[in-house]
Amino acid sequence: MSDLLDAFLVEARELAETAAAELMALERAPADAARLDGLFRAVHTLKGSVGLFDLAPMGAALHAAEDLLDAARAGQMALGRAAIDSLLELIGAVETWVEEVAALGGTLPAAAAGRAGDLEASLRALLPGTKPTGGSSPAAAGPSAADWLAPLLARAVAAEHAAGRGVTALRYVPAEDCFFLGDDPMAVVRALPGLVALHVAPRQPWPEAGPDPFTCNLVIEAVVAAPGAALRPLLRLVADQVRLAELPPPAGTAPPPAPEAAPAAPPRALRVDAGRVDALVDLAGELVVAKNRLAHLVERAAGADPALARALAESRAGIERLAEAMHRGVLGLRMVPLGRSLNRLPRSSREIAGRLGKEVAFHLEGEAVEADKAVVDGLFEPLLHLLRNALDHGIESPAERAAAGKPRAGRIALRASRGGVGILVEMSDDGRGMDPARLRAVAVARGLLDPAAAAVLDDDAALDLVFRPGFSTAGTVTDVSGRGVGMDAVRTAVEALGGRVALLSAPGAGATVRLTLPQGAAVSTVLLVRAGGEVFGVPVEAVAETLRVPAPRILPLRQAEAFVLRDRTVPLLRLAGLLGLSAAPRGEVARVLLTGAGAGRAGLEVEGFAGRLDVLLRPPEGLLRGMPGMLGTALLGDGRVLVVLDLPALIDGEGAG
Amino acid sequence: MSLRIDGDIARLEGEPRVEDAEPLLAFLQGGPGRGVDLSEAGPLHAAVLGVLLALRPALHGGAGDPFNARWLLPLLAPPPLEGDHPSLFTE
Repeated sequence: MSDLLDAFLVEARELAETAAAELMALERAPADAARLDGLFRAVHTLKGSVGLFDLAPMGAALHAAEDLLDAARAGQMALGRAAIDSLLELIGAVETWVEEVAALGGTLPAAAAGRAGDLEASLRALLPGTKPTGGSSPAAAGPSAADWLAPLLARAVAAEHAAGRGVTALRYVPAEDCFFLGDDPMAVVRALPGLVALHVAPRQPWPEAGPDPFTCNLVIEAVVAAPGAALRPLLRLVADQVRLAELPPPAGTAPPPAPEAAPAAPPRALRVDAGRVDALVDLAGELVVAKNRLAHLVERAAGADPALARALAESRAGIERLAEAMHRGVLGLRMVPLGRSLNRLPRSSREIAGRLGKEVAFHLEGEAVEADKAVVDGLFEPLLHLLRNALDHGIESPAERAAAGKPRAGRIALRASRGGVGILVEMSDDGRGMDPARLRAVAVARGLLDPAAAAVLDDDAALDLVFRPGFSTAGTVTDVSGRGVGMDAVRTAVEALGGRVALLSAPGAGATVRLTLPQGAAVSTVLLVRAGGEVFGVPVEAVAETLRVPAPRILPLRQAEAFVLRDRTVPLLRLAGLLGLSAAPRGEVARVLLTGAGAGRAGLEVEGFAGRLDVLLRPPEGLLRGMPGMLGTALLGDGRVLVVLDLPALIDGEGAG
Repeated sequence: MSLRIDGDIARLEGEPRVEDAEPLLAFLQGGPGRGVDLSEAGPLHAAVLGVLLALRPALHGGAGDPFNARWLLPLLAPPPLEGDHPSLFTE
């Protein structure tokens, strides 16, 4: 029983979230039939699963919503503002009830019945009379293609799904010059399993004089009875030219034996407890580390038996490849689309704007970008803070906007994309923006800076002030964004996820907050360096260059040292000194690693380099926690613990101290 | 070469490749009433298919290759009179 309840709770939360997202989309595009279908499916499934438990009031309210959506699907009514408001209110209530059911172990609190009754009544009031209100022309007119074609296609798709195959539509537009790259798009199409339909057409009309045989002017569209995941490997070489769309099993066309009683099985996936996946991630990570031990053995064997060492080295390379592939694959299990967090924000935006008496259009894109579950889940809070700030302080009141010649409704855009090694999430608004001069003044007034320091801050650094603890520029404290704890909380939360925050703004032209986040918790490559007789790790990303600097070229500079590299003076620090260890005397040549960029560039003298290594970085624990300049620890192949250093923090610490 | 010219008919045989597209185009444009025979052809290269789709020459014989017979012949048939889309499902 409790297993069933657990499954219901997980599913109900997801369905409520889906329903809310579809509703928000419908508000923007009321004619979107696919969204309406999605919404109907979510409400229908939710109602079905609610029926398994003693939750009658919730079921009745959902039933009313289902009737309303059914009428909208049949074209008997349009989903207007009032209907969407009522439906959103219902979904909000459902979310509350689901949590209450979870807390009470399967029943609703007594008060829920009254609320559910009110919601049911308000939804029923919106329903058109039991008979369609006259003028039902579409059914009376001759059967147009739309009437019979859609069910026909739906049955064909349903038949494939029933046979256990997914159905995927694909559109492949080969690059014009693909023949020169040795591609044959038709060979790609031939290799697709389970082709159901194929259409090939010219991309541009064929020229009068005949086609150019060396240019590919084709668009290939196909329907394939296979899930997208099975097709992607076949299409990997032309992935940039192909778009896949998995066709969902159609709702309602294939009548399951008892649609009310059986909660529809989630179509896409196997639910696995996150803890088990985490255990697997840890194991795969340990495997990557354990394979490092082999490198050690190969080295030892090389002295005793070179032939054996070669064979070992080969076998090690194979194991290394497999271990890494496995680690990537296992980490992939934790990858979830950002939509999990982002899709909740349009609704929050609507609510908050309503409370503030402002109008806002929310634009969301990139919800399909994937990242580690921890990153995605951890992103919601800071984004909500940013949203509150943008709505409260950024977007002006409709009257103020009209006076400034802007559209009455403010615009907030949230965009996610993959960028470099991680993901990029940007929230921009077109509100009043931030004025660096005012930020400087406020920082001085709050005692965060003295006037002289404030005067020399450039505009970027001034914008950065909003992330300081205790900084708030809001003239009044509102119940929406509180008392200026927002932005530094955002920075803390994002940094805890391993990310960074930056703010861009121009007075009058809005502000953009840019979050750069890691995509996953991955194996990192470290450079091994010797200092003070010990070995330390340094993340390779932190190392710009390694150099050998002849001792005579090192210039004494008061208490410190420097050297000239490509016409620029670079300060030279001793790593052993930074770590409080005694440095070995310098020989004829200093081994230096260059870190930082621009004015922050510095050379760090080490006693030697000891190769590079892939390690599973663990955050510092216990006594080591809070030690400045330390990124974490990693287990070495021979069982020793490697301390991995945070170079920027070490060097900053030196500068401050 | 998988292209053999036989009077007014270009016979495509084996696996026509990208380099067959240009001679095929030249042949088909070289005179009226020229056609193509695909009965001995295996997998057609996309460049060859492009030429056939653009010129829609008369087809002689069927297609021996099951993929060509099922998927490509319908696309290469003369355009229907009303200019309809080809049917999406062939079964």
